[in-house]
Amino acid sequence: MSSSSMATEPETTSSSPDKVSARDLGHSKDEIASGLIEECDSTEPDGLKFYHMDLYESKERLDIFAEVKVTGDKGHEVSAEQSGEKDQIECSSQKEIDELARLYGLEDDKEIVEDFRVEHMPLPEVSENKESSIQKYNVEHKKIEPQQSMENIEREFGKKMFEDIVQEHDGVSSNCHFDEEAVNDASNEENQRTDIGGKLEDNDRTLSEPTAQQNEEEIPDIYCVTCGTPIRAFEKLFGIHKEHEVTQLANVIEDVKEEIHNNMGKLEEQIAQMENLVVHLEEIFINVEENFARQEQNFEIRYNEVMQALTQRCEDKLQALGEEKKEKLETLYAQLVACGKKLDSSRELIELIQELRKSKEKAEFLKTAVNTADRAEEFFQTDTELELSINQKYENKMIDFSDVQQLMDSINIVPAPSAPVVNPQSPNSATGTSVRVCWSPFSEDTVERYQLYYKPVSDDAPTEKQTEFMMKVKESYCTVYNLVPNTQYEFWVTALNTTGISPASERAVYVTAPSPPKIKPKDCRSCETAALVRWESGNMNPVDSYTVELCKVSTEDHESDITESIVGIPTCESLIQLDPREKYCIHVRAANVGGISERSKPVTIHTTGTFFHLNEETAHPLLSILEDGFTIACQEEESLLDFSYQYNSFTRCVAVMGNLIPVRGKHYWEVDADENVEYRIGVAFEDTNRNGVFGTNNTSWCMRHVVTPSRHKYEFLHCGSTPDVRITITPKKIGILLDYDNWKLSFFNMDLLQHLYTFSCRFQHFVHPFFALEKPGVLRIHNGIGVPESLRSF
Amino acid sequence: MALKQISSNKCYEGFQKVFEHDSTELKCKMKFGIYLPPKADTRKCPVLYWLSGLTCTEQNFITKAGHQQAAAEHGLIVVAPDTSPRGCNIEGEDESWDFGTGASFYVNATEEPWKTNYRMYSYITEELPQLVNANFPADPERMSIFGHSMGGHGALICALKSPGKYKSVSAFAPICNPTQCPWGRKAFNGYLGVDQTKWEPYDATLLAKSYSGSQLDILIDQGKDDQFLAAGQLLPDNFIAACTERKIPVVFRLQQGYDHSYFFISTFINDHIKHHAKYLNA
Repeated sequence: MSSSSMATEPETTSSSPDKVSARDLGHSKDEIASGLIEECDSTEPDGLKFYHMDLYESKERLDIFAEVKVTGDKGHEVSAEQSGEKDQIECSSQKEIDELARLYGLEDDKEIVEDFRVEHMPLPEVSENKESSIQKYNVEHKKIEPQQSMENIEREFGKKMFEDIVQEHDGVSSNCHFDEEAVNDASNEENQRTDIGGKLEDNDRTLSEPTAQQNEEEIPDIYCVTCGTPIRAFEKLFGIHKEHEVTQLANVIEDVKEEIHNNMGKLEEQIAQMENLVVHLEEIFINVEENFARQEQNFEIRYNEVMQALTQRCEDKLQALGEEKKEKLETLYAQLVACGKKLDSSRELIELIQELRKSKEKAEFLKTAVNTADRAEEFFQTDTELELSINQKYENKMIDFSDVQQLMDSINIVPAPSAPVVNPQSPNSATGTSVRVCWSPFSEDTVERYQLYYKPVSDDAPTEKQTEFMMKVKESYCTVYNLVPNTQYEFWVTALNTTGISPASERAVYVTAPSPPKIKPKDCRSCETAALVRWESGNMNPVDSYTVELCKVSTEDHESDITESIVGIPTCESLIQLDPREKYCIHVRAANVGGISERSKPVTIHTTGTFFHLNEETAHPLLSILEDGFTIACQEEESLLDFSYQYNSFTRCVAVMGNLIPVRGKHYWEVDADENVEYRIGVAFEDTNRNGVFGTNNTSWCMRHVVTPSRHKYEFLHCGSTPDVRITITPKKIGILLDYDNWKLSFFNMDLLQHLYTFSCRFQHFVHPFFALEKPGVLRIHNGIGVPESLRSF
Repeated sequence: MALKQISSNKCYEGFQKVFEHDSTELKCKMKFGIYLPPKADTRKCPVLYWLSGLTCTEQNFITKAGHQQAAAEHGLIVVAPDTSPRGCNIEGEDESWDFGTGASFYVNATEEPWKTNYRMYSYITEELPQLVNANFPADPERMSIFGHSMGGHGALICALKSPGKYKSVSAFAPICNPTQCPWGRKAFNGYLGVDQTKWEPYDATLLAKSYSGSQLDILIDQGKDDQFLAAGQLLPDNFIAACTERKIPVVFRLQQGYDHSYFFISTFINDHIKHHAKYLNA
């Protein structure tokens, strides 16, 4: 047991007596768990014996015992050096303990003692501890004082010993702060301990027989349902359990085991659910991470665009300003220069005039003055532009931010989607009247909805306008209904969002599944081992293949689950291998790339025997097939010239052929004929001469019955010859057994099971039954019946 | 009724044996051949009795007919007794081939000196079956009979006289109407006396005319080139007519080119074994 090894291995770190006892503990647990209670038999009395010795002789060992016991206890640490590893082990052993305790029905104990237990320390653990301590004592004692003699055992000590153990145990537990409340009321506790002792004793006996040897009268052998505790049968009769419902301990154990098992099942379910959830959360986590990363990138790109646009705008503006400044400055400078020149001229004139005024000579003065006055006049006549030629102010032009605004907006407004791509049709996604169309948007697009357009693909001239249909779809797939089966449709998609509409996708051609085929029941035939099923396509356009589905129909009239499918049948017929003496329900479906059709109407095949229909095409005009399809009659001969013969019909013999299944093996059918009916019945190749007489050629084998004035005459004809066979009793029910395996064709009088004749013939091809009437009369054909057992030897 | 094994030969996984015993009915030592199919090792098998024709012993059939393979296949015990008592020291018993030794005609003789020993009908229908049932793994409830020529006659009368006793009967070129043919008249006259009414219970055609009882399926093969057919010794048409009248099912096959020999028998023995097997193994 793995639990035992788990429990023991880490213990190797502790002291050696400890280790041994721990092993023993694991071992004893195993035994109890596996129900090997008898095994404890041998150890328990030893335990009792050695216990006394330990208790009363060796204080040191008691300490060891205490420590070990705690180790086996709830998993509370006693000493600091005990490692976390050990803790784990204890937990696992604790689980075992709990389970064991529940197994023994101690969990729901409702006795007075139990209050204490519930409050302070679960009894199961206690009992387990006690059990383990006993085991430890055994081992330790064996180890340390193997020479201990049996004489030391005193039976009356037994009970007291148990109590002491428990007390000792409790003491240790309190020391370990295992149960602080337990020590709150010391005096009370003392009593309770005693009670526990007794209680434990009882429990212990349920765990192991040995105690029973000592205190036989105290074994709880039944279970009080009312109190939920094991009790002695004795107690049922007297005491508090007198009125209580009791049951066998074993039953209770079984119930509890089952409950534990159920709980485990529930927990496992929950674990599985949680695991699923974890996986799911992980997926979501990754998705969110990715989405946000994408969004970050998106923002970055968009804002970069805006920044670039603004920078560009800024540069443009600055350049424009610079140019304007230069222009203005140049103009001003030019004006300045012009003003300077004018100033110079003015000054020159003033100086001239002042010199003129100084001159004394009148003549010269006048001459010069006039000259000067002319120049002044001229000077004044030149424009003196004293006003500023330009507006020195900055021309505050409006800056157009609309494009930037648009860019800014585009950060939050998604772009119009690109054209989606319509996926190729996935196999088996279509039905006869619907297809499921799937498409994919361009990966970075945000799409609010799609518009799916479709129209049937037509070979007609494109001038003829086909109706287009449009559907609005939210998802990236759509199932389109109300279509025509086995028809091609073109589909294309546009994607839309608030910003706009995408271009249309490329057109994809989808095809609807075919209509179900129609089985031709009259062309179906069968035998014990096979069936030949034929059907009509049921579709205008060709289909890719057909699937035949068959299921055995049991006698209880419900279809069995065993359904077999034969797929990929290219033609409208299939020869299916079947088991003998069963009833089959057979459906056919048609398939194309789009999918598979609904089931056809079924045909029921019984493999009890060979079954065939008469081939009406071959019937002579004088021969009529009655409504049941298997009774043929020959009317009075009229003028043969009047008849219009069908292609493939017999023209000489008034005959009809049956459609026998082309399968080797044995085939059997029967013909009823009245005593004086003259007939030829037998088999012939499919292509036997339609204008020939059966039995006169090498393509047919027949039994002929004619009535002569002297007697009934029977001929077994092939190639025109017959053996001389006399038959004393006219057969009225003729059995015909065609046996390809043994190359035989036999005739029987089935009323007598009399063998009439057997042809031995190697049929080169498959043959078909035929039925011919030589005179007006009636033949009734029976088929679908098994080969009678008595004929099997023929 | 101690049996003494004369010979034993393994044949088609079974054994073809010959035994001799002291017949109480015939008061002489009698031999018979018996084929035990392999199936007889583990269970009881039906028994098919073969009656041979004039002059034959048990040896002719077991060495010439080639029935063992089919018998092994269908699990039939085939018993082939001798055709008459032998070594009875009756005056004139060996004078002619068609009367006396080898020509018992399977009747219980009533005339001296034959009536003590020539009780072949009782031997075939009573003593021999008891002997076989007691000493071999034979199913007493399932037995059939067939024969050739005089034995065909014997088989037919055994079957017709005891309706239900034999599950089926067949014959090769049987003497169908012995009261009307030279062989039969000679034998009946010798064994049964001049009173022809005593002959009637041993004539298959006459028996058929008065037959009533359980259904019989009779298979008869007749060689068309059989010299005795032409000589009027066999007279199958009379028997067929009687059976047609009494609605007794007969399939009579006139086999083109075959004569009266064991070559004829061995050609169609399988058909006959199969015919019997159909009823014996039903």
